[in-house]
Amino acid sequence: MAGPIRVVVAKPGLDGHDRGAKIIARALRDAGMEVIYTGLHQTPEQIVETAIQEDADAVGISILSGAHMTLVPRILALLRENGAEDVLVVVGGTIPADDADELRKQGVADVFGPGATTTEIVDFLKGAVPA
Amino acid sequence: MERGLDVDDFAPRLSFFFNAHLDFFEEIAKYRAARRIWATQLREKYGAKNPRSWLMRFHTQTAGVSLTAQQPEVNLIRTAIEALAAVLGGTQSLHTNSFDEALALPTENAVRLALRTQQVIAHEVGAVNTIDPLGGSYYVEHLTAELERQAYEYFERIEKLGGVVPAIEENFFQREIAEASYRYQSEVEAKQRIIVGVNRYQLDEEEPIEILRIDPALEPQQIERVQAVRARRDSAAVEQALAELKRVAEGDANLMEPIMDASRLYVTMGEMCDALRDVWGTWRETPVF
Repeated sequence: MAGPIRVVVAKPGLDGHDRGAKIIARALRDAGMEVIYTGLHQTPEQIVETAIQEDADAVGISILSGAHMTLVPRILALLRENGAEDVLVVVGGTIPADDADELRKQGVADVFGPGATTTEIVDFLKGAVPA
Repeated sequence: MERGLDVDDFAPRLSFFFNAHLDFFEEIAKYRAARRIWATQLREKYGAKNPRSWLMRFHTQTAGVSLTAQQPEVNLIRTAIEALAAVLGGTQSLHTNSFDEALALPTENAVRLALRTQQVIAHEVGAVNTIDPLGGSYYVEHLTAELERQAYEYFERIEKLGGVVPAIEENFFQREIAEASYRYQSEVEAKQRIIVGVNRYQLDEEEPIEILRIDPALEPQQIERVQAVRARRDSAAVEQALAELKRVAEGDANLMEPIMDASRLYVTMGEMCDALRDVWGTWRETPVF
């Protein structure tokens, strides 16, 4: 597959903390990726629809509300139901270590907490998305 | 004032919400500059005569973005310093963040320590013995004047965009915030800005701290409680209150009365918001990053 990596950066649920999501979106764009940022308050359905419409290689989900164990599995299930399980799912935000392990088990490619650098996230996506 | 109220009828009731970040003296200067701007503007631009209208009352919350997930106990120190800046800058009320909030919602212990931080500032260190204790400090006065000048520059730019609402619609504030947060992150990653425990003085191994777990059983319980309230209320009166709220929202009258009436009938906030969304739709910003 040719062309730049396409990433949807998404904010599901009611939490309005979008500082991190916007920083990541910009860092990915500056690294040459095509970034679609959904804006706030997206439902899992809207996020999956955007990922499919935009033909995304990866979805980056940012959650700081504590609702990650409800929202992320729902997004994974919807991607599967829509035959889009090849879309790489990455999660960021305030995610306790145990929950991060559980999300990885369920199919999340990786979880990046506070303190993660934009460089490591860019490198991870470049490595994980097949060129 | 457009509705014919005198500024002194409501200005003493207005209050503001500030954030307390880590740059100690700049933060103190920020509150001092804000108070000065408010007093000047209320007197000179809006003609307020009641001295209570000139007082800027404000709440301050310590900076969530300054909390680290690494060596989280260090956040107690950050929060204490931020809180002290707010108090020295004259805040009327204060929210100190809990040290574990970069990891999860706070535990009872973490919340208590956040409260104790305020109590130490209030009772032990003498920070509240006088108002504006840093007034006259050459550095703080200089920073205050500089922040005031820069704030007025912003006001001018916003004015040129047509005011606050058009500026929001043009993503002015959103862009300024996005720029500043990206710059901050870049400085951290380049180690131009040192964050203890994050980009310097890291530990190879960190002991995990105890964090709060929310029992998933609480969700069905809360749904049940809301449903029970709904079942008990007068549904005809609820419908009427929501219809009234919508009717008033279609005009430009004060919404506070229909909202209070609806609340007394146990109309939920969700129902009221749905009613208002029916009338106004939803604002969707074009995200800038």
